[in-house]
Amino acid sequence: MTLPLQDPLLSAEGQGQPSSRSGFFRTVLRERKAAVVGLAIIAFFVVLSIIAPYIAPYSVTEPSCAVYAPPSAQHWLGCDDGGIDMLSLLMVGGRISMIVGFAATLVAMIIGGGVGILSGYFSGWIDVSLMRVTDYLLVIPDLVLMIVIADLWGASLFHVIIVIGILEWTSTARIIRAQVMSVRERAYVKRARGMGSGNFRIVWRHILPQVGPLLIANTVLTIAIAIYLETALAFLGLEDPTAVTWGTILEHAFERTAISSGAWWAIVPAGFAIAAVIVGCFLFGQAVEDALNPRLKVAHLSLRPWRLRPLVGRGRDAI
Amino acid sequence: MRGADYVIKRGFFALVTVFVAITINFFLFRVLPGTAVTDLSRVPHASPQLKHALTVEFGLDKPKWEQYLIYLKNLLHGNMGISFAYQQPVTHLLFNDLKNTIPMVTVGTVAAIVVGVITGVLSAWRRGSVPDHVSTNTAIFAYAFPTQWLGLMLLIIFAGTLPAGGMSNPFLFGPEPFWQHLGDIAQHMILPALTLTLTAYGSYTLVVRSSMLETLGEDYVLTARAKGLPPRRVVRRHAFRNALLPVVTLVALDLGYIVGGALLIEVIFSWPGIGLAMYDAIGQRDYPMLQGGFLIPPLR
Amino acid sequence: MSLLEVTGLHVWFEPPHAAEVHAVQGVSFALDAGERFGLVGESGCGKTTTILALMGLLPPNSSAAGEVLINGQNILAGGEDSVQPYRWKDVAMVFQGAMNALNPVKKVGWQIAEPMAFHGVAQGATARKRAGELLEMVGIPAAAGERYPHEFSGGMRQRAAIAMALACEPKILLADEPTTALDVMVQAQILELLTGLSRDLGLALVLVTHDLPVVAQVCERAAVMYAGEIVEAGPTDTLYHAPRHPYTRLLFAATPDLYGQDAVISIPGAPPRLDSEVAGCPFRPRCDVPLERCADEHPDLRLVGAAHCAACHRNDLVVAP
Repeated sequence: MTLPLQDPLLSAEGQGQPSSRSGFFRTVLRERKAAVVGLAIIAFFVVLSIIAPYIAPYSVTEPSCAVYAPPSAQHWLGCDDGGIDMLSLLMVGGRISMIVGFAATLVAMIIGGGVGILSGYFSGWIDVSLMRVTDYLLVIPDLVLMIVIADLWGASLFHVIIVIGILEWTSTARIIRAQVMSVRERAYVKRARGMGSGNFRIVWRHILPQVGPLLIANTVLTIAIAIYLETALAFLGLEDPTAVTWGTILEHAFERTAISSGAWWAIVPAGFAIAAVIVGCFLFGQAVEDALNPRLKVAHLSLRPWRLRPLVGRGRDAI
Repeated sequence: MRGADYVIKRGFFALVTVFVAITINFFLFRVLPGTAVTDLSRVPHASPQLKHALTVEFGLDKPKWEQYLIYLKNLLHGNMGISFAYQQPVTHLLFNDLKNTIPMVTVGTVAAIVVGVITGVLSAWRRGSVPDHVSTNTAIFAYAFPTQWLGLMLLIIFAGTLPAGGMSNPFLFGPEPFWQHLGDIAQHMILPALTLTLTAYGSYTLVVRSSMLETLGEDYVLTARAKGLPPRRVVRRHAFRNALLPVVTLVALDLGYIVGGALLIEVIFSWPGIGLAMYDAIGQRDYPMLQGGFLIPPLR
Repeated sequence: MSLLEVTGLHVWFEPPHAAEVHAVQGVSFALDAGERFGLVGESGCGKTTTILALMGLLPPNSSAAGEVLINGQNILAGGEDSVQPYRWKDVAMVFQGAMNALNPVKKVGWQIAEPMAFHGVAQGATARKRAGELLEMVGIPAAAGERYPHEFSGGMRQRAAIAMALACEPKILLADEPTTALDVMVQAQILELLTGLSRDLGLALVLVTHDLPVVAQVCERAAVMYAGEIVEAGPTDTLYHAPRHPYTRLLFAATPDLYGQDAVISIPGAPPRLDSEVAGCPFRPRCDVPLERCADEHPDLRLVGAAHCAACHRNDLVVAP
């Protein structure tokens, strides 16, 4: 589920790789509007998640209006089938969804990043065996795993987090491994090894800083996928139905015939919220990934070709 | 010679992967507590004869590893047990469900590819312009909206004009002309396939756009331009085919996910396919069905 | 009237987040049929951009000014659209690195025949036959046209690219570093081929290279470019034996001589950035004999001998250089 979107830079004089990491991100933000928009969206939702319990107008457990009450001045987004205010549901649900997304991504990053670094740095049989493991993990049908876990240990948010993390770490591992392998071959790393630096030190001081930006881009993109997966799992009833997340909001709307009741407000806002977060993550993550892999080729064909300037007079000072 | 080697190697790995999948599948279900799962003969309301027959067939009174071998043997014969919920052979049920899923998923996917390729090429051609931004951002959004939400939205918009569920009109039975049946099914297929198209096309747009931009930067494109060929011909003859290569890879990779996404769509539209069957099986704890059904994605 | 006349050619690149780059700054030269003209200079001096501009092959984010006259017609007058009809029919190009200039998924013969059909030179079987003849002319068996570029060696690909460039019988051939990345033996063959074609077909050849011995071997006349300008132009022999610009002198001196005992001199420093105006002579920072006026007065290209011009203030000194 990865989307490659390489945006060719127009000039070869564009950004090479700056040596400082903070300089890198500042450049990305300065030059790519998409990154700024993405980051702004993510920041907005993060802040919203944090302050949600304090600014939610109504309770999410006690009913405060009629069943499927339409949007009104008191309830901007109407109410669901239990008479609970949709806006509050959306805010609190967002908080939980974001937490699940971030937590699952954390799991995926720790496992995936660890495996990727170990695999990429040590190569040999460590690499081969780890990659075999990831291959076979990809073969496990996601839903089977979820069902088994749901049956064995009960369907709870915690298990959702674990399952998503398990499902997502393999792609991270692959990407990080490739990057580590290429960094490992660079001159300064070889020099460090020749000087006898310990492995940990090399990884910490030389490899991690280079892998850092890619890890961040991958993290952000994984958060998007994690949130998406949470909604899917909730929809299939594999999540704790009493939890309030964007996924369960949609699931309840479907289960409790919101459509036939004409209660579009139970469905539309949640979808937009989910899409907004995912788009934000995508914009930022892709922008960083593009900046890391600048394409120096200029498209030779385009709708608007080169233009001719009028020649005034002759000689060097003509223009 | 080298080509044959490569194919054999890949085929072998694929076989190994399938084998591992089957094994994992088998043991995963045996992990669950109670003989409810391990006991394939525990079909509700089964007659004693049926129970006995199943016990013998799957060796349920024998040790685990023997069960495993018997399971494999039965699998090769296409025997996956009896569904708890429907009292019918799993293989037969799954086959029917698959027959329903494939047309819908195919239509939706093909449409997604076509739309994606067209919008991707146009976007690359008009890079940086307003239509490009609109097209690209729309693609991103379409991809970002949860599949089930898109389906629900389509239901809201089209409820009343297009059928809201099922694969065919339940009242349309009897010796009706074949075309009428087909037309009826087609009508029911519109919304689910459309949902799939909307949810899937975004990734194709972005991949095609990026690939086309890269191809347009290749030296041989400059050569074609230098030959005096008009831009459209350059794109058509030289750039297009090369730019499309990543799409093929993407489709192959996506096939598994598409079947998964179809699950959500089938649930929303009550489309009687594999996805809905699995969903019901989950709810009903119909383990033979689940075990059989989940073998299908890895088999791609 | 010359076959090819370039007058006051300027090219600017417009990168998205940076200042405009003035890559070619007022280049002028002329060429007759059968003449072989060399354009030399170090990497980044603008020579490739110059000949790309001759065919209007500039990228979207760039602009150009000046005239490119082929038989008196200014082909740049209307931008990209006006140049198109002249491409390949009047002027054709052999690109740097023919490895990538050929489409990897099309047969070589097809690629040679393609422009023929489009420009109405030949169709179908006739075009294929002609493609075969062109391949033979450059020293490749005609049957090789049925193969793909990756089945050709580097030298063969370069030859195929030359054959392809001749498909529509152009009068002017532009060759951009045709022998870079080829080994010396193959280099010699390619150069001989180009010289022969120019003589036999009356082709006007513009050879762009940073490799001076190549120019000395093939071209009767040459121009030396530096920082987007021509700093000296004239007969190749004169440039070699009696240069009138310090850069030309240093450039030729920097070429290692296989039998010479002299130490190899390199020119310290680097060319100026082209995204800002340079005061005075652009070569002054690296020049070994600068005058005072070189700091603020820009030297114009001036005649200093028979068909020989140079842009250096030292040529104003009455005493012989």
